[in-house]
Amino acid sequence: MAVKTGRGFAAIEYPTGMNQNGDPSQAWIKVKPDGRIDVFAGTSDIGNGSKTIQSQIVAETIGVPYEWITYDNSNTDSSPVCTGTFASRATFVAGKAVEKAAENVRQKILEIAGKELEIDPSDLEIIDGEVIAKGAPQKKISVPDVAAAATWGYGELITGTGAQLKPYATIVEPETGKVDLPPHSAISYASCAAEVEVDDETGTVTVTRLWQCYDVGKAINPTLVEGQIEGGAVQGLGLGILENCYPYYPSVEHRGGQFGAYLVPGMVDLPQIDTLIIENPSSDGPYGAKGIGEMANNAQPPAIATAVFDAVGVWVTELPITPERVLRALQEKAAGGGAPKRDGKTVIFDSNLSVNTVGTGIAFGAAA
Amino acid sequence: MNLTVNGVDTTIESGPLTSLLDVLREELGITSAKAGCEQGGCGACTVLVNGASRRSCLTPVASIDGAAVTTVEGLGSPEHMSPVQQAFTHHYAAQCGFCTSGMMMAAQAYIEGGGSDDHEAIQEALGGHVCRCTGYVKIIDAVAAVARGESFDLSVTAAGTAMTNIGGMA
Repeated sequence: MAVKTGRGFAAIEYPTGMNQNGDPSQAWIKVKPDGRIDVFAGTSDIGNGSKTIQSQIVAETIGVPYEWITYDNSNTDSSPVCTGTFASRATFVAGKAVEKAAENVRQKILEIAGKELEIDPSDLEIIDGEVIAKGAPQKKISVPDVAAAATWGYGELITGTGAQLKPYATIVEPETGKVDLPPHSAISYASCAAEVEVDDETGTVTVTRLWQCYDVGKAINPTLVEGQIEGGAVQGLGLGILENCYPYYPSVEHRGGQFGAYLVPGMVDLPQIDTLIIENPSSDGPYGAKGIGEMANNAQPPAIATAVFDAVGVWVTELPITPERVLRALQEKAAGGGAPKRDGKTVIFDSNLSVNTVGTGIAFGAAA
Repeated sequence: MNLTVNGVDTTIESGPLTSLLDVLREELGITSAKAGCEQGGCGACTVLVNGASRRSCLTPVASIDGAAVTTVEGLGSPEHMSPVQQAFTHHYAAQCGFCTSGMMMAAQAYIEGGGSDDHEAIQEALGGHVCRCTGYVKIIDAVAAVARGESFDLSVTAAGTAMTNIGGMA
């Protein structure tokens, strides 16, 4: 009886946006007389940081400081439609809508600046809040001065709208399932390696390290991306060893009566987490971004299950990997059984392909 | 009954067994303390009572008659944030924000109690607070930074990089 260490990994792919498309997001932007920018969009920020990220996209696309942006998503009367913050789509779909709206605003600013400077708009660019003639930087006008000229001189409101929608895909060949439109083209890839300690006397699994590697297309705000990945890691840890989607064992009368009966990871369960962000741009997302929402907690449970096998040589094929399930698997193995199985399905596993990576001198990830 | 709430002497009209949480939220309109589990299990309702962190949901207001109560509103304002508030901002230690008030009050009590930047000590001190979004990493980093007495430049992230990673924008 001992505490044994093991490592395992899992790799996933994850689609962004709705599987069959048809999920619009829209944005409307106006420039106030002092050059400050109001963005109206319906995307709710549920903690994923979409207000920050979409403001960054607007600031970057127009060419003004981030501090000039006010992002209003406070109500659905004044803001255009956004189908919502789900399916990892807030940056990928709604972010593209604000990028398109911001590009239209940029063009209007250039047009009016062109009149003021008597230069063709195509020879102008906007850098850090100033419209500057390409190749002749002494010829310039600030965006606030352009906005004032539009308001008081030309009688115009500088405004722009943008919408992002891939129309519904319809199945055209029922036999093959072929559809007439491809889905949103942003498949993200990710992997997680887990290190665990398993007590083969009590069955307790402790996750000691998680290495997280995520392709996000473009990390528009790297710290926020890191926050999504770290949060997903701990959610995945919970799904792997603590949280039970059917917590009424052995029957519904035994369901937990209190908050604490549902085991969510606490601060003391936190393993060491190492995060690596990979940028493999998408063609549809703003600045090449993909989604990093729902995928962030997918890879940890299988990685932990593999690490448990590496540690004690049994496959626990139901989540969460509770002490009871570990002990039952060990018992079954000791009795000569222990073939991986799950409710009528047999999982084929070749133990020769598994590499014991801890304590054998074999580098992590290397083949035996 | 009387309480000093964020430095203001306040007469309480609610009944004696009303929870401090309900007094704050319903009678006084101070909504930073969150009603999470209301069983003392999640930490979202934590406030300081005479400087000590307390679950306001489990505290009958009569039991603290005359006490000084501090909520997040009493730590600082958006223009003049306290060190704990600055650290949480700098380290992006909040996502949905529901646990954040309680986390910051527990952090405040930990810092006032002379807590160190040792991660295990912070995990122990804030261990009763549940967060579903952040994975705790950035919260612990923020509290450790305050314990070390760091000052915070809120125009850059804790990683020392500019906020954005697109184009040439600073």
